[in-house]
Amino acid sequence: MKWISLVPVLAVGGLLLFAAKDFPEWGDPQSPASSSPVSSHFINNTGVDTEVPNMVTAVLADYRGFDTMFETVVVFIAGVAVIAILKGSGRRRGGLRKDHEVEAEPDLIVTNTVRLVVPVIQIFAFYVLAHGHVSPGGGFQGGVVMGASFILLALAWDLDHALVRMSLPKCIIIAAAGIILYGGIGFLSMLLGGEFLDYAELEKVLPVSREMARYHAMLGVEIGVGFTVTSIMFALYANLSSEGRLKGGL
Amino acid sequence: MDNAIAWIFIFPLFGAVACALLGMVNRKFCNPIAVLSMAGATWAGVETLLQAVASPQAEVSYILGGWTLDLFPRGVGIEFRADLLGGLIALVVLGVGFIVSIYSKLPVERETPNKESLFYTLFLLQITGLAGIALTGDAFNLYVLIEVAALTGYGLIAIGSNRAAAATFNYLILGTIGASLYLLGVGYVYIKTGTLNMVGIQEVIMANHLMDSATMQVAFVLIGLGILIKMAFFPFHAWLPNAYCNAPSTTSSLLAPLVTKVMIYVMIRMVLTVFGVEFSFESTLWAKFMPWLVVVAIICAAVMALAQREIKKMLAYLIVAEVGYMVGGVWIYNYYGLIGSIFHIISDACMTLCLFLGAGIILRKCKTTHFDGLRGLFAKMPLTMIGFFIGGFSIIGLPPTCGFFSKWYLITGGMVSHRWEYLVVLMFSTMVMVVLFFRLIERIHLAVSESGKNLGKGHGELGLTKEQTKFDEAPLSMLIPLLLAASIVLIIGIYNQDVVDQIERFLEPLNLPKGTKD
Repeated sequence: MKWISLVPVLAVGGLLLFAAKDFPEWGDPQSPASSSPVSSHFINNTGVDTEVPNMVTAVLADYRGFDTMFETVVVFIAGVAVIAILKGSGRRRGGLRKDHEVEAEPDLIVTNTVRLVVPVIQIFAFYVLAHGHVSPGGGFQGGVVMGASFILLALAWDLDHALVRMSLPKCIIIAAAGIILYGGIGFLSMLLGGEFLDYAELEKVLPVSREMARYHAMLGVEIGVGFTVTSIMFALYANLSSEGRLKGGL
Repeated sequence: MDNAIAWIFIFPLFGAVACALLGMVNRKFCNPIAVLSMAGATWAGVETLLQAVASPQAEVSYILGGWTLDLFPRGVGIEFRADLLGGLIALVVLGVGFIVSIYSKLPVERETPNKESLFYTLFLLQITGLAGIALTGDAFNLYVLIEVAALTGYGLIAIGSNRAAAATFNYLILGTIGASLYLLGVGYVYIKTGTLNMVGIQEVIMANHLMDSATMQVAFVLIGLGILIKMAFFPFHAWLPNAYCNAPSTTSSLLAPLVTKVMIYVMIRMVLTVFGVEFSFESTLWAKFMPWLVVVAIICAAVMALAQREIKKMLAYLIVAEVGYMVGGVWIYNYYGLIGSIFHIISDACMTLCLFLGAGIILRKCKTTHFDGLRGLFAKMPLTMIGFFIGGFSIIGLPPTCGFFSKWYLITGGMVSHRWEYLVVLMFSTMVMVVLFFRLIERIHLAVSESGKNLGKGHGELGLTKEQTKFDEAPLSMLIPLLLAASIVLIIGIYNQDVVDQIERFLEPLNLPKGTKD
């Protein structure tokens, strides 16, 4: 009966292809998505409005910063939901032996390589985070790289080894701090007389112009995103890999 | 205050973060934080709605990030727009959230011990998402907020038990499919129009005559299908009953009144504001067969509700039937039908809230919500039962509850547009609901045993011992929210004209047909 599921797949696929004949030409500069005043506004004014050379960052963190704030909240929710669902569920089925709880000595070559690599990964994460304004990168990417470095620790030794450096309460605190940083910057700009997330108003507290205020605020919110993504990445790994028991290696 | 609309999401968002942090210090902080932030948000919701009512354009427009609206089509930056429809729905979301936050104190302690801080974090973010959906004026931002509401919903349901977690998995798969279809549709709209602002999209459709464009037609189908899955419209309802019935009682009292209703709001918003009346009703195939799907949906859901022997499950199928009413009210393409739909969103949220709050109390006191465990409940908890039955009477549609008036407009819409099939199924499902609730009343009041045998020896005799019928009312923190919800059902019913006036003010400029189409 599995073939039945092909029917909706083909139907939706056919529908999507059917519409494609009506698409604007590939790369057509006259197509609405390229020629609309909205896109041209982004292309022409990003540098003027925000002093940020990377247009993608400006659209992501400033023009549509409200979306990005809630994307960060989604990451936070994912972590909180997984912790909430798995918390205590390990104890309920405690009698069963888990394969991954077999004690094993960490491998010498692996641990020493990881010891060398982790600092490099973490520095690179900071670079990706901070360099988001001028090159591809930003909070999400930097946060993922940073979170991966902690996961690598847990893989090379075991979960406890990584949890000493990044415990679960610490994860929640850092993730919440990320949201507070992002939302707080938006809230501060509202208190200073603008709309929510109107970074330009931050010129009243920063010794810079309105455009540079937007520039610096974007870095601030990217750091907030980085906080949340880093800690939630690791919290997800720690919970899922140990079914919420938070011990043992994979 | 100019920023009232921003406070609507600031309160629950920061409240949620505060719950996550302070909840680690002491989990007793969580409930007061939730109640306070919901009180603040509700105040902001009232303020926003009053501003919208007072303003000459009947809307409050708020551009996040301080960008401009002057361009054509608008769309730089994200707009929050509380017109009378969005403002009303947002206020319903916040009001329900406030009532449930008061109610939640005891059930959360009992049903999800040691997880209070995580629970309230998800709870407040759920309300942030739902209220945001009602207010946002940007099609992509709507998607992000749908994700916020959906993910918190999965967490809130699965937090309860392993069975709930299994039910959530179905919900997760179907919800993700629905959201993905919506996102694909938004992508198609963007490639044709070059903007994501809802009003902007309609301006482009009008200016460039995109009514017959295949891309827009497919986008409409994808968005519509995605939303139908999300709102548990009949063939896609499979996720709802198990999820709501196994969820902790706080969760089901929050999600059941809001999630499906907010999704119907999204459908109305897409039809009226994004694609426009002309496009949605006159250039699509969709509009031709939707009224017939509604007929099937209402009949099936009502019959399935009739087959249930458990209060929460029965209520879950009632929600599916009610979804059919509201979708039908939109697609019969009539002014009165739409008034009915919008008003029914509001009244259905209030009455479903009543019923689920009541069911939660019954579950707490009787340890079961199966029909067989209900005998003598009225003697035990008269106030709870009064609240519960006001909700039930409103579902049936007895005056002066709000359910009567919203159903009145739906029926008027069906009559003036000569949609007799819609009228017939509305009547049929009303009859089913009469049977459902009077069967419950019978179970509770009369001495009918599980096997249907009469145990009573005379009038008022339940065949129960004194202890079993001793006055044992629900704790005040649960009873007061229930009675509050019940009185709101009555108040909206009595002052229905004021609500309808605002809905009419919203619908008036759209030139919907007031009689048959031809």
